[in-house]
Amino acid sequence: MLKNLNLPNPVRLCLLTAVLVMVYLIIAIPFKVMNVIPGFTDIRPVMLFKPVYGVFFGIPGCLAFTIGNLIGDIMSGSLRWTSVSGFAANFLGPYVFYVFWKRISKTPFSLRTFKRILIQIAVIIVSSVIEVVIIAPSVKLIYPEVDFILLSVTIFLNGTLFPLALGIPLMILMQEELGFKPYKKLNSEVYE
Amino acid sequence: MNRLQANICLICVTLCWSTEVVIFSCIPDNVLPFATTFICNAIASVVLLACFFKRIKNEISKSGKKIILRCMLLGALNCCYNVLYLYGLNFFDVSTGAFTFSMTVVVLPVVLITMRKFVGAKTWVSVVLVLAGISCALGGNIKSIHPVGLLLMFSGCIVRAVFIVKLNDFAKEHDSIPLSAFVSVFVAVFSFIIWFVLQPETFSAIPWSSTIVASLFIHAYFIIAFAQTLNIFAQKRATAAEATIIYTLEIVFSLIWGAVLPETLIDRAIPTPFQIAGALLIVLGSIVEIVEFKGKRGIKNAKKS
Repeated sequence: MLKNLNLPNPVRLCLLTAVLVMVYLIIAIPFKVMNVIPGFTDIRPVMLFKPVYGVFFGIPGCLAFTIGNLIGDIMSGSLRWTSVSGFAANFLGPYVFYVFWKRISKTPFSLRTFKRILIQIAVIIVSSVIEVVIIAPSVKLIYPEVDFILLSVTIFLNGTLFPLALGIPLMILMQEELGFKPYKKLNSEVYE
Repeated sequence: MNRLQANICLICVTLCWSTEVVIFSCIPDNVLPFATTFICNAIASVVLLACFFKRIKNEISKSGKKIILRCMLLGALNCCYNVLYLYGLNFFDVSTGAFTFSMTVVVLPVVLITMRKFVGAKTWVSVVLVLAGISCALGGNIKSIHPVGLLLMFSGCIVRAVFIVKLNDFAKEHDSIPLSAFVSVFVAVFSFIIWFVLQPETFSAIPWSSTIVASLFIHAYFIIAFAQTLNIFAQKRATAAEATIIYTLEIVFSLIWGAVLPETLIDRAIPTPFQIAGALLIVLGSIVEIVEFKGKRGIKNAKKS
């Protein structure tokens, strides 16, 4: 849809980011009722968008993911100092996918073979570990009463299970059936 | 989408369906299932119609009334088996009912043969394994099964098997998104009629709270809009038998949720050794159906092609 609008690229990127933030929030807000550690972490199926935003929407996707998370924190009243580390982690989470498929992998993004799916699983795990390493110690530092192990496990599982169980099928659907293409800088095809 | 991807999508669909128990645990028992079915399908159809309006319009102009009538049939079948399951489940405890629900896999090959469709040897092996798994999980409960409950569940399984076969046929002919959107529309309409008959107060009878609203939206997004659409896309490549056998994994996932999810979300239920053995047999049955067993000749043929 954005492709049809005759707008300068920065405006289109801003619009794309805004649309992605909206989609993120539509999915994220209802799950705020399912708290594991109230105020710190909850069950977050919205993490399924982590690889999707990274691969199909690049930097605007990464920004949308982290802005969406921040707005979600504000709306649910769980905005704290640790939201700063959450902001960084939620940008880096999808960014890992963007960097891997754009710069490290020698072949373009595809999930058509078992091997490619295994590679995607490995990237999901790396991305989740990065998120745990950024968020968990900072929360423990500011709120020592929080159970560090439970928090780390929850962040890791949220960051791994949802992208794996829901994200991979969604990416298959988007690439194979809905005609989405991996993000290329200023490539208008992605806005379709 | 290739066969591997279709099977992954079907497993994801089953996983989404299995979380229904977790989501519905947030909705009070006095809210009728037809109310939740109506609201969730209505939300999902609005989401699909809004997001894919152009695609749906194109399919209507291409297929005309045919797609509408077919979706109406699918919607009616869906409501019919839901009603049968709902009343059938009154005669069972939760776990027995859940395992009996998986009996569709046993009924499906018979339905396929009745409709003059081919059922391969591999499917029969899978069905036997899944049936063994269900029997093993039911264990001593088999003796206490009420015949009326069993009849209702069995009828539900037959209707569901017909639904799956028809959905599989239509998925190969029509665009998946309009199909999913219209099935949701008709399920919503039929559910509303039943809801209105059973509870004329409809919306005012629901004790609205943020938790209920959130649960309904979660159900609509993931279990209907996402899983149902993904299911129809996957069914383009998979056979009805493959799909049904993979669907039996739902009970395995439900057992896992019951055992691992925090008690703040769901009542803990540790599976018995019989249930674990049954679940393993169901997984084995699914693996047999999904995996392509190729001998030396098969590999040669695959390379040639």
